[in-house]
Amino acid sequence: MSTNESVESIQEQIVALLPRLRRFARNLVRTPHDADDMVQIAVERALLRLDQWHSDARLDSWLFKILRNAWIDEVRSRGRRAKIFMPEEAGEHVGEASIDREVDRLSVEAALARLPQDQRLAVSLVLVEGLAYKDAADVLEVPIGTLTSRLARGREALQAMLRLPEGDIS
Amino acid sequence: MTVSDETLMAYADGEVDAATRTIVEAAMRDDPEVRRRVAHHRALREAVKGAFAAVIDEPVPQRLIAAARGAPAGSIVDLAGARNAAAIKSSRGLRWQPAAMAASLLLGLALGYLGWRGSNTLVTVSASGELVAGAGLAEALSSQLSADHAPGAVATTGLSFRAKTGDYCRTFALTATHANSGLACRVRGSWKIKVLAQSAETPANSSGFRPAASADSAAVRAAVEESIDGEPLDQAGEIAARRGNWSHP
Repeated sequence: MSTNESVESIQEQIVALLPRLRRFARNLVRTPHDADDMVQIAVERALLRLDQWHSDARLDSWLFKILRNAWIDEVRSRGRRAKIFMPEEAGEHVGEASIDREVDRLSVEAALARLPQDQRLAVSLVLVEGLAYKDAADVLEVPIGTLTSRLARGREALQAMLRLPEGDIS
Repeated sequence: MTVSDETLMAYADGEVDAATRTIVEAAMRDDPEVRRRVAHHRALREAVKGAFAAVIDEPVPQRLIAAARGAPAGSIVDLAGARNAAAIKSSRGLRWQPAAMAASLLLGLALGYLGWRGSNTLVTVSASGELVAGAGLAEALSSQLSADHAPGAVATTGLSFRAKTGDYCRTFALTATHANSGLACRVRGSWKIKVLAQSAETPANSSGFRPAASADSAAVRAAVEESIDGEPLDQAGEIAARRGNWSHP
């Protein structure tokens, strides 16, 4: 990759990544319109900080990180928690649901929405976006061991909620 | 040979080194249970990925493409303003609501910025949860005439007018942030913020002076056009309104 790409070229790469940014944002924010607002904010921020992007780094990871941080800022500054997934509360129900088996089979999306936020983002970056563990850890700004443990717990919870047949994993 | 589930997960994700891969694949050959567990990890991966596949095929909204190509923030906000202007036209009777929606849409950007700067002297939230001008902005709105070019003021004022509700309203541009314009109306002794928008106008020059005409953006214009009753106030009208502390005559 060139070390001195033109701004226009990077902008077109960002345009090409918009579908994936929108997809990732859907894991952050409930409604598609709000998710797109987050993408727009993140893209605007990214363009202001192009000097901070090193062209040997993955552009997608860098944008995901900006998007995630923009979302965190939004949650803090806008107080719009009502419109955003409530991971803490939802997370508390995951265990109960998988123990008492009273929930109906959930759609994958609904099951993901019930994951605690940390696990949901790990699952989204690795399983949906196909990021390597080290890139996903970088986006979430955690050590790789934290990422893998969130991923493992998220998967386990999803397996339980989706009632995919379980093996004798223990 | 027992292989931990975390290792199998990493294998399914293509995250193991060659040595571990050899071990896992040997275990898979020997043990149908290991094969089954790897298959589960892969199946879950496919299921999760598939759930979001449709998003990739959706048309990307034009505003996002424009943002990625570096359209000035103001022109993007103008798109939002245009949308809201359309909403205003299609919803007679809900006079302020679209403007309020425009405000809430843009507030995240504007307020996040203002809040980050810790300047609640400009915009603050009243006890009843309404967005109102803070002390600094309220002072500017109450005291400055549109023709005033007050160096050092937190805001310049643009247009003043009577709204159909009878309230006095004024457009303004914040000096310190260079990029925020808005519309405030005098309601029960405070300046209620009706619209706060980012605009693409040029920042204040080194003297700190902004022309009054910069208190403008599509969102603000749309709100003004919708709410104005008659013509904007001239200077004599502003002076008279100021004498009455911008309350209903």
